[in-house]
Amino acid sequence: MNKLKYIVLFFLAISLQPLVAQHNSLSGFVIDKQTKQPISNVVVKLAGYNTYTTTNNDGSFKIHHTNISNATVVFSHVGYINKEIHNIEEDGSNSLIVELEASVLNLTEIEIIGLTDNQMPFSIEKIGLKKIESTNLSDIGGIIAKEPNIGGIKKGATGIDPVIRGFKYSQVIVQLNGGTKIEGGCPNRMDPTVSHVNVNDLHNITIYKGPFALKYGPNFGGLINLETTKPLFYNKFENHISMIIGGQTNHSGYKSGINVNGGNSRLSYIFSANKNKFGNYTSGNGDIINSSSDNYNISTGIGFRPATGHVATINFDRSWGRNVDFTALPMDERTDDTEIYEVNYLGTNFSNSINFIKFHAYHSNVNHKMDNKNRPFSDTVVAISSIHAMNSGGRIATNFSAMQGNFEVGANYENIYKDGNREKWLIMQPGLPNFTESIWNNARINNLGVFAEYQNTHDNLDWIISARTDFNSASSGPMLRLKPNGNPVYENVDTKSDYINFSFSAGLTWHVNTSNEISVSLGKGTRSPDMIERYIILLPVGYDPYDYLGNPGLKPETNHEIDVGYKFKGNNLGLFSASVFFSYVTDYISSVRVPPSQVMPQTKGVVGVKTFTNIDDAYLTGFEITYNTPSIHLWEVRVTSAYTTGINPLATVYIVEDGSIVDETTVKNDPLPEIPPFEANLWFNYKFFNDKFVPELNIRMVAAQNLVSEAYDEDSTPGFTLLNFKLNYKYNNQLQINMGVNNIFNINYYEHLNRRIIGSKSPYLEPGRLFYTNLIIKL
Amino acid sequence: MHKTILIFITLFIIFTSCSNTNSKKVTYVATGAISAYNLQYINDKNELITTEVLPQSAQDKWTYTYIDDEGELVYMSGNYKDINSSLNMMILIDGKIYKQGSNEADTLFYLTVSGTVPYD
Repeated sequence: MNKLKYIVLFFLAISLQPLVAQHNSLSGFVIDKQTKQPISNVVVKLAGYNTYTTTNNDGSFKIHHTNISNATVVFSHVGYINKEIHNIEEDGSNSLIVELEASVLNLTEIEIIGLTDNQMPFSIEKIGLKKIESTNLSDIGGIIAKEPNIGGIKKGATGIDPVIRGFKYSQVIVQLNGGTKIEGGCPNRMDPTVSHVNVNDLHNITIYKGPFALKYGPNFGGLINLETTKPLFYNKFENHISMIIGGQTNHSGYKSGINVNGGNSRLSYIFSANKNKFGNYTSGNGDIINSSSDNYNISTGIGFRPATGHVATINFDRSWGRNVDFTALPMDERTDDTEIYEVNYLGTNFSNSINFIKFHAYHSNVNHKMDNKNRPFSDTVVAISSIHAMNSGGRIATNFSAMQGNFEVGANYENIYKDGNREKWLIMQPGLPNFTESIWNNARINNLGVFAEYQNTHDNLDWIISARTDFNSASSGPMLRLKPNGNPVYENVDTKSDYINFSFSAGLTWHVNTSNEISVSLGKGTRSPDMIERYIILLPVGYDPYDYLGNPGLKPETNHEIDVGYKFKGNNLGLFSASVFFSYVTDYISSVRVPPSQVMPQTKGVVGVKTFTNIDDAYLTGFEITYNTPSIHLWEVRVTSAYTTGINPLATVYIVEDGSIVDETTVKNDPLPEIPPFEANLWFNYKFFNDKFVPELNIRMVAAQNLVSEAYDEDSTPGFTLLNFKLNYKYNNQLQINMGVNNIFNINYYEHLNRRIIGSKSPYLEPGRLFYTNLIIKL
Repeated sequence: MHKTILIFITLFIIFTSCSNTNSKKVTYVATGAISAYNLQYINDKNELITTEVLPQSAQDKWTYTYIDDEGELVYMSGNYKDINSSLNMMILIDGKIYKQGSNEADTLFYLTVSGTVPYD
């Protein structure tokens, strides 16, 4: 019933959209003044009105307005000086050639080769700088989780782990700057990749849903690319500074950052420093939730431009995490020290047929320390885990024109290393006995992949095919857990595994006419098991209360997915898009109980031991629908709704009584765990004073999640509705203030993907009413 | 000029606000014993020290004070053999009682109080 209510609301919002007639128009082309080449994505806007459009790939544009003859048309594009045109002839057949002069030389000089993200036949979400700057959130996972059909598994104050269409953990690739990978240290993923990047350094986020974007890695269920701010080149030597200072009540704390960059046409630099610190918060019912965190970082980069069309950059980032609460985990983060090194090269000036050559190399180094010192259990046993995780690799690719289309071929390599121990002190025992347990034992995974992608545009069809092969090998020291007396609890020396995986995708976008397009994508994405699934040694790392054992013999899992999309774009009607997907996963990685006769659980409060295993298959299906009103009004409405469900056709459920497993049974069509429920969002904003003053209201409606996994002892979650408000005030290009209030009615709620409070069935509640403000200065 | 001033002000704020580890005063106190007992405790170098204490009376007080960081282990454990003796032990953090315990002619003849220097 709730779902029906949301669907009715959604279509009601669409039907409220009035039709607005228009008579006059202006059309033309925008080209580069120097090269005379067309410039795509130039914003063409009527000053004083909220009417704008963007140029197409050939630089063409057409803009409509009833008062176009008296309007001033402004052409703007990153890297070019704005141009204004006045007194346009009123004959409806205007056709202008507008030349823009370059101001900033693009750092990466990445020209859009082939299909743009908007033309891709699969679902892509983009989060721009404006959106990132205007939020109070400092957790990148939390920002990503606002997008349709994306959620986040929350275990503590930071590090919300993204879930895309029900795919999570290593089923989703999260990378930095087109290829840098970061391996978190915590076996319970308290520090996924997103937690090692400071939100103030982000420039944009792109989310590719489904197993279709194969050129970045063995993409199984989706890919998230975090793009950080880069050094910019300028025609003349310039220096710039930008700052952000944000504060909030309730989850009280602040985020702050400074970014200094500059350079000339050959050499550029960037330096940034950020610090975010937050305390506990109060939920809607007045409970105090431990959620404090302290994170800071510095990053720096240098760019070289030895010749036109060739750019090289070197980047370094050092971050610190201190005393971060993880209410849903048995330990808190005490220290996290992360270093990221990157080298990039992009060459575009070779020949007519070679569009570009890219090279990217990286090394990330994470030292992560966790303990239970703030937990009641530390009165008898103090436990400290220290993990060292490294990820090194790179990517090389070339893009060239052939067969009336564009090919991109290349290779990427990744080497993951992990080692770590847990030390325990029995602090109520005479003599202070202590012993050390291995969590990872010099475990390594190597993955070398080669890929090829071909794009073509023919008449009204855009199509893309890609394929990749991955050579994956893994090894570890013996998986060994000893009792304090030195006797083995578990030992496995057979830790090597090698796989060759093939992935393939193909997609087609059919531009039926100027308003309608239909797209279809087919993909087969295969990924090998990750570190946890292969080598974890008896730790409770799952949703359910079991100690988990890695399985070095685990097979890769494969996602066979089909996406069908539809888009409608009308000048008067706005933009409507819908996407439906169906995934059939073979060798789905799940878990099975290990009998106590083989290994006994080692953690207090768990009911047994499980190991990772492949089940025959699983299914996931869902949809996303979005609607945006047209840009001809000063007001704007945006509506999104999304839903995913997943099924394990034949699940084993263990019956637990008084903390012990007493029986097991088989359940047909058990829902897959940790899938967010149906959600709908509505945003309404109004642009005052030529976009300077923009209040926005957001209604977020989340349905109850009652499709929960019996096999994983998952709890259902009640639905909720939130009302949020924010106000963006842009005084000028140098000064901007954002402020807002989240959860205006102080609703007591929690997300379905929030883990339970450790050792209980209590939900991990979200903050109640919260006021925030961000001040942004750019000079 | 304005840019330069802003840069320095912001850098100053950021770097002066980076995390510092808070240190606290830890005091161990043992009293109540009327005869010799063995005592183990963690010292300022995080070493486990074993010593024998020879009290003259039950009012004799053994104390040890040092400065330690938040989160570090604090631990003292006493072991006596005289069935007529007893032992009271206390750990104070910044002058306030953090953990305490007592043992009087118990069959175990030992007492441990311990924990970690609490975080603010």
